[in-house]
Amino acid sequence: MERASAGFRKELVSRLLHLHFRDDRTKVSGDALQLMAELLRIFVVEAAVRGVRQAQAEDMALVDVDQLEKVLPQLLLDF
Amino acid sequence: MEEEQEAEEQERFSSQQRLKAAVHYTVGCLCQEVAADKEMQFSKQTIAAISEITFRQCENFARDLELFARHAKRSTINTEDVKLLARRSNSLLKYITEKNEELAQLNQERKVKKKKKPEDGNQTCREPAEAEGGEAES
Repeated sequence: MERASAGFRKELVSRLLHLHFRDDRTKVSGDALQLMAELLRIFVVEAAVRGVRQAQAEDMALVDVDQLEKVLPQLLLDF
Repeated sequence: MEEEQEAEEQERFSSQQRLKAAVHYTVGCLCQEVAADKEMQFSKQTIAAISEITFRQCENFARDLELFARHAKRSTINTEDVKLLARRSNSLLKYITEKNEELAQLNQERKVKKKKKPEDGNQTCREPAEAEGGEAES
């Protein structure tokens, strides 16, 4: 079933991870890459949705950085 | 010598910039979807901020994953390492575990299909014929 959703491409995820590996020999399995892509997607969507909820609670028409700042701590704790 | 080093630094900087741009694009798309779904707009700064945070978070993820794999005496990061990464929130862990099982299922089905049909480059939806199952990528 085709997902209508955007997401992180495997190649991008691979590059992002390899950027920070300390050891040259470290590799990532294909499945792990897909799972990481999903994790990153959730991370972004959570940040966005929590931002929306904060904006709604504050009766704002727009999610601005102020709202994002408020949801950031919990987001980072959850990940 | 210094020129070479500088050139290298420049190269590294611009490839990082490209990665950040790619992340920004994906983040933008995802925020657009959320915005449409929740009928709420995001300011450009917010999208940029989420993008930056995501990019930085990747560093933590990458280091952790590498350490997890090494702890298990492996040089290839696998799905168990990713699951360990998702341990901090119960619902997140549950979701990731389910996704993992879906993936495993899909791979199984793909393997069965491959054995039946010895043909074409007929690729379905998502990824082009990429790594099967546990194939390591460097």
